[in-house]
Amino acid sequence: MYITNKVKALRFIPGVFFCIANASLHDAESSREEVYSMLSIYKRGCGRSMRELVEHMEGINRLMARYGVKFGIYKHNEFHEQLFPFDPLARVITAAEFAFLERGLTQRVKALNCFLADIYGEKKIVKDGVIPEDFIFSSKGYLPQCEGIKPPKNIFSHIAGIDLVQAKDREWYILEDNLRIPSGASYPMIARELTRQASPRTFTANHIVDNRNYAAMLKEVMDAVNTGGINVVLTPGRYNAAFFEHSYLAERSGAILAMPQDLFVEDNRLYYRQYHGRQLQVGTVYRRISDEYLDPLCFEPDSLIGVPGIMDVYRSGNVALVNAPGNGVADDKGVYYFVPHMVKYYLGEEAILKNAPTYLAFYEKDRNFILEHLERLVVKDVSEAGGYGVVFGSELTKEKLEDLKKVICREPRRFIAQEVIDFIDLDIVEGDTAVPRKADLRAFVLTGDTTRVWASGLTRFSRNPDSFVVNSSQGGGFKDTWVLSR
Amino acid sequence: MGIISLEKSDHLFWLGRYAERVFTTLDSFFRYFDRMLDMDDAEVAYQSFCKELSIPNSYKDQEDFIHKYLFSQNDPNSVYSNMLRAFDNAVVLRDELSSKTLSYIQLALDSIERAEDSQALVYDLQPVLDDLFAFWGCLDDNVEDEECRNIIKCGKYLERLDLYMRLGYPYRSIEKEYNKFLNRLHKIRIGYNLSEVDKLSEIINLGDDWRSRYQEALLALCNIF
Repeated sequence: MYITNKVKALRFIPGVFFCIANASLHDAESSREEVYSMLSIYKRGCGRSMRELVEHMEGINRLMARYGVKFGIYKHNEFHEQLFPFDPLARVITAAEFAFLERGLTQRVKALNCFLADIYGEKKIVKDGVIPEDFIFSSKGYLPQCEGIKPPKNIFSHIAGIDLVQAKDREWYILEDNLRIPSGASYPMIARELTRQASPRTFTANHIVDNRNYAAMLKEVMDAVNTGGINVVLTPGRYNAAFFEHSYLAERSGAILAMPQDLFVEDNRLYYRQYHGRQLQVGTVYRRISDEYLDPLCFEPDSLIGVPGIMDVYRSGNVALVNAPGNGVADDKGVYYFVPHMVKYYLGEEAILKNAPTYLAFYEKDRNFILEHLERLVVKDVSEAGGYGVVFGSELTKEKLEDLKKVICREPRRFIAQEVIDFIDLDIVEGDTAVPRKADLRAFVLTGDTTRVWASGLTRFSRNPDSFVVNSSQGGGFKDTWVLSR
Repeated sequence: MGIISLEKSDHLFWLGRYAERVFTTLDSFFRYFDRMLDMDDAEVAYQSFCKELSIPNSYKDQEDFIHKYLFSQNDPNSVYSNMLRAFDNAVVLRDELSSKTLSYIQLALDSIERAEDSQALVYDLQPVLDDLFAFWGCLDDNVEDEECRNIIKCGKYLERLDLYMRLGYPYRSIEKEYNKFLNRLHKIRIGYNLSEVDKLSEIINLGDDWRSRYQEALLALCNIF
């Protein structure tokens, strides 16, 4: 359904003020005057430009529908495709703040890459007692089949989607790392394309870094690890929730969109089968299929969406898989707790970006704390994703709290608990006014010959005023993320 | 040369067929619809339309036919069903077609959906034809890979030829579409049945008398792939 209400009166955007003000917290060189000056520019420039975008909201949403900006969802075992609700009020991040985030995110992903290389290699971090082995080998993301594999250029995490929130104290916190098949980059990419068409003045009046280079960055990554052959984006098919993204990224990066049946293994090489019978060698597979379904000969034998034998080719170094299978061990919600320790261990540095305060039920001391304060914590099941398995203690009845405590005591490795971060609201347009909603930011960090942070990101928001859950599968929407160039 | 898998070649071919099926049947429907406006002729008009297209006449009356033939998702012969099939084939071809070209298929689909409650059918369905015209134009303009264009147009002209034959188009139109079809057929690398092509050529070369072998021509066309 198109959004038809035009906004007549729009309140100012507090989230943007917060982002700008936050710059001064992290960049000592950013003087108070500069921050005020940016704010003033914002009020005079961005504010008016944002209003222009809001006035064109109907047109932008029409373009979104035209270009099929959708995501799929399964309800009652039926596939439904729906438009991803877009809000035109962008999140704005200043250049200084982005520089801070860039340093922190690059550092984090470098450490995670070192961790993955170590875990599937020597396991020094376990031997040195920095991370208990229970957290590695009991993780669903740890794949013994990947032991000893050295991927091209020793890169495991080529595309990391790091979820952050900004608390009301203006501090950024990492909520989780997504190192398997993080999705979402295509949405701000196409949103920018369409908003530039709908409101060109917004982009001439403001110094916003163009984010449409994501596909070029992706291509650079695929080329950097390519073992000889074409680049393909491997999709499970049309009825995957993120199929729009698969096809859009293939189009924009110049890679071939491949279905599993298009690929086959011969003589320990991977090939793409053309319609007239000739075959082409594949050098990089940006696979959008989960580890367990990737190769029926290696993982789930009943998988119909995998490529038989692809893991042998990968193990022999004859194809690059983006991201590396087995990365799930690093984005396990239990292992998340140890990422700042990894930064210290591998890089000898203090983590620039903080984790949300987290307690591991695995540790007795933490477990006791969780049991005592459950009603104020958010509990996460480490085996779930996509906003599922997240329980806010404050929303549970006394009985349910007791039940949860029992489960936590029975399966402590399965749960982590975090302090609820009262993260800032960003305004979204609803009807003819703007209303505050919880929003997070998924930043994308790409690693090829270098590690780079994409100067944008997917800002997801909850459409429910009482909810912290922003996932699209739970009804959330998205915004563009503007990084100012100065 | 493009890099096209067997499955994608199939989607390209059928996208061409379904897009053309929607275009030509809708265009023809407009003419029959005009005849139906004269009430005496209404039943005859829609029944002869069904007969020419080999559609089972499962409709209660003219009104039922109009609505179901145009908009029913459950009627595999409906314009809407064919448009959905075109969309299903197109949506997996974004990297071949480009988002811009694909968007015209989405627009055509949206146009049909919007017209469902229309009181001025021809007027409100005209955008479907416009969107499909734009789709073909955009394809020529945006899709650099000739092989991709040849496969999709092979499907398009095969479908058009089939429909023109069924709907009694003049010989000159049939001959023209046949030549377009042959031109594309020789450029693609999909296996086809040469003897059926020869048979069809022989019939088309009969000129206006081709109609004496109408059934044979349709069968040959059907057996080429």
